[in-house]
Amino acid sequence: MAGSEAKNSGSKQSGAKKKEVKKETGLGLTNRKADNFGEWYSEVVVNSEMIEYYDISGCYILRPWAMAIWEIMQGFFDPEIKKMKIKNCYFPLFVSPGVLEKEKEHVEGFAPEVAWVTKSGKTDLEIPIAIRPTSETVMYPYYSKWIRGHRDLPLKLNQWCNVVRWEFSNPTPFIRSREFLWQEGHTAFATKEEADAEVLEILELYRRIYEEFLAVPVIKGKKSEMEKFAGGLYTTSVEAFIPNTGRGVQGATSHCLGQNFAKMFEINFENEKGEKAMVWQNSWAYSTRTIGVMVMVHGDDKGLVLPPKVASVQVIVIPVPYKDADTQGIIDACTATVNTLCEAGIRAESDFRDNYSPGWKYSHWEMKGVPLRIEIGPKDLAKKQARAARRDNGEKIDIANDNLVDEVKKLLDTVQQNLFDVAKQKRDECIEVVHTWDEFVQALNQRKMILAPWCDEEAVEADVKARTKGEMGAAKTLCSPFDQPELPEGTKCFASEKPAKKWSYWGRSY
Amino acid sequence: MFTKWIQSYRDLPLLINQWANVTRWEMRTKPFVRTLEFLWQEGHTAHATPEEAENEAIQMIDIYTKFAYEQAAIPVIAGRKSKVETFAGANKTYTIEAMMGDRKALQAGTSHNLGQNFSRAFGTQFLDETGQMQHVWQTSWAISTRFVGGIIMTHGDDAGLMLPPKLAPIQVVIVPIWKKDEEKVAVLNAASSVKEVLRTAGIKVKLDDSEQRTPGWKFNFWEMKGVPLRIEIGPRDVSSESVVISRRDVPGKQGKVFGISMEPSILVAFVKDRLHEIQSSLLERAIAFRDSNIVDVNSYDDLKVAISQGKWARGPWSATNEDELKVKEETGATIRCFPFEQPQGIKRCFMTGDPAEEVAIFAKSY
Repeated sequence: MAGSEAKNSGSKQSGAKKKEVKKETGLGLTNRKADNFGEWYSEVVVNSEMIEYYDISGCYILRPWAMAIWEIMQGFFDPEIKKMKIKNCYFPLFVSPGVLEKEKEHVEGFAPEVAWVTKSGKTDLEIPIAIRPTSETVMYPYYSKWIRGHRDLPLKLNQWCNVVRWEFSNPTPFIRSREFLWQEGHTAFATKEEADAEVLEILELYRRIYEEFLAVPVIKGKKSEMEKFAGGLYTTSVEAFIPNTGRGVQGATSHCLGQNFAKMFEINFENEKGEKAMVWQNSWAYSTRTIGVMVMVHGDDKGLVLPPKVASVQVIVIPVPYKDADTQGIIDACTATVNTLCEAGIRAESDFRDNYSPGWKYSHWEMKGVPLRIEIGPKDLAKKQARAARRDNGEKIDIANDNLVDEVKKLLDTVQQNLFDVAKQKRDECIEVVHTWDEFVQALNQRKMILAPWCDEEAVEADVKARTKGEMGAAKTLCSPFDQPELPEGTKCFASEKPAKKWSYWGRSY
Repeated sequence: MFTKWIQSYRDLPLLINQWANVTRWEMRTKPFVRTLEFLWQEGHTAHATPEEAENEAIQMIDIYTKFAYEQAAIPVIAGRKSKVETFAGANKTYTIEAMMGDRKALQAGTSHNLGQNFSRAFGTQFLDETGQMQHVWQTSWAISTRFVGGIIMTHGDDAGLMLPPKLAPIQVVIVPIWKKDEEKVAVLNAASSVKEVLRTAGIKVKLDDSEQRTPGWKFNFWEMKGVPLRIEIGPRDVSSESVVISRRDVPGKQGKVFGISMEPSILVAFVKDRLHEIQSSLLERAIAFRDSNIVDVNSYDDLKVAISQGKWARGPWSATNEDELKVKEETGATIRCFPFEQPQGIKRCFMTGDPAEEVAIFAKSY
């Protein structure tokens, strides 16, 4: 597969250390994003050393290059929710069947994907134990126990953990895997108003993760009845779109569970009037899927493209020695450059490996998506400058040593903004407003994100799904955007021709 | 995966860690100490030479030791496991052993030199600088939520948890006290400003201003939760612009100081000082407790006496695995480790009388 290098034929040499310098990268992608998106994606995540495929289908190894991105996002989100007085906890991985089945709609939604432990060692367990697909049923019996009076509210907990959903639909690294990492927040309030407010506060944090960190434009909206969280009252989400495949991807969700779970799990409290009342609950989560969306939106035919804010290495400094030129001087200049940048809080590293040529290194670090490359050769040394190359657009800029930190900071900010702007433009170009079924089908075939007036009936959505089922997958609602365009009176639903109630985004999705 | 990622000496050392949950279907469980599912970090490294692997294994057990002493105030004894107790698949297992309040030993963290055991099994090889194919030398090391159990059982007392300030999520709890309604506002205001002062100084502080519970109830509650310092503020303190500070680790009047000025620079200095003192004191006490419960033995009989008294026995040991198992069967004690810190001088195995190079520590354990 692309990526394995020819093994050193050192055994043929008689012990003398012969430096074999790799010039051919062998690391180039064999698939092009515009032609074989699926294969391109698998290649990129592997070649950039983020993912390793595993011998259990649908499970993937997250290598340090991917883990670093997850940790950076966590470094933003965790303090933000702590500011909201949400506390971290850890509930068990295992769920007993009785408890899992308590909320009927919920279990119906998740049952097909639940993984079960049926043995310990060689002995069958008396009662099989489920592995959490999500932790509502794990946690809520304890919410019932801990919440007695209004002073016990609000109860706001979060956990960073792994969950298992034994999917059968196409596993895709980051986007859809059988085990994935996420955070799940679970909060309980005395009033619906408080719950509603928090749903949006959290959704805004998710928007920030996508737009400010991952440079991915998203649309905030409300899920349809068919698509909302099984057992919840309403679901809000941030929706992204992948232009190459014409598929929407749910970026993160923030649900108001209403009082449905409170009813099932008897989560009651004595309110200020002394009456027995049920709590209002929310749950909200984002997962390692975020990384997949970022890869799909920004990656190109050279490999991964990382937004500086989430890149574990923002600047890679590469020495470009030349014949008898002052090699040590070049190396010293590289080291000094890295030190200066690191002291200024920039994540810079150098690549001094002498068994790889500069050209190899350029390709390697481009594959890994490092936002900025700095090259220092004899001419740069003489002119007391460095040459920077942007990963996003290939632009080359000479930077005087004196202005290093400022220029690099500016460049990184520019790259971050540019990635977002380009992604937003591409996404906006995919949005198609339709009014009729024919327009809808045509837009679908053109891989668009479709904005259509809809009568908001579940049966109609089911019908649309059935009618558009094909090898490309059925179309469904992605969300009803909060930002609603004007809906003139008399507008008809594109599918049922009944009076339209609101605008909704439709499309195929991951 | 290491097999796939390592081809040449330039790919080494490979150093990775993960924070994860693991499942082990145990028979007898105990919160934190032995649970079906627990959280831990597990480090796994691969090296080109046995010396590097050994250095890494030792470096990690040193880090665990430092963490135990400096952060958790637990004076662990670091050492090497006996062959019988060594992790299946390791050449050497290093351990940190802690003495709990009931004097049983708790293995609080381990670091293994795996040699080439796994690399031979998985075919993890690399081309070295001379062009020869070699198997890598590996280590693995882990510390888990069991460690929290260690903190509970080392420092806790009959009033509840006792947390070392460096690890306490709340280092100082402020309990406002008032009897009459007129006093309430002034007291709460004073309490809030004290809280701000401490918070700004980087101290983890909580103000318990709930009106559902009495001050007495709050004292008991936060003691149960192990908060190192309690600040009490009543109407008289408000007028004298001072506070009362109580230490969790010293009960009663002895642990209480009156009239500490609310003036920020004085208060902050006092509180920080006190927290340092508590941290050191917890460690000193634990050391004293540990040392007074380890008996140096010269005979098997001596060991039996020590173990039956619930203590640890330390004596020269060069007997066989069978002898070690016999001790376990007859007394319930296992070799916790051959400590890194060894006494000088000629030693004779307390079991066989033969010359012994090292002393071993025996104890009943969790």
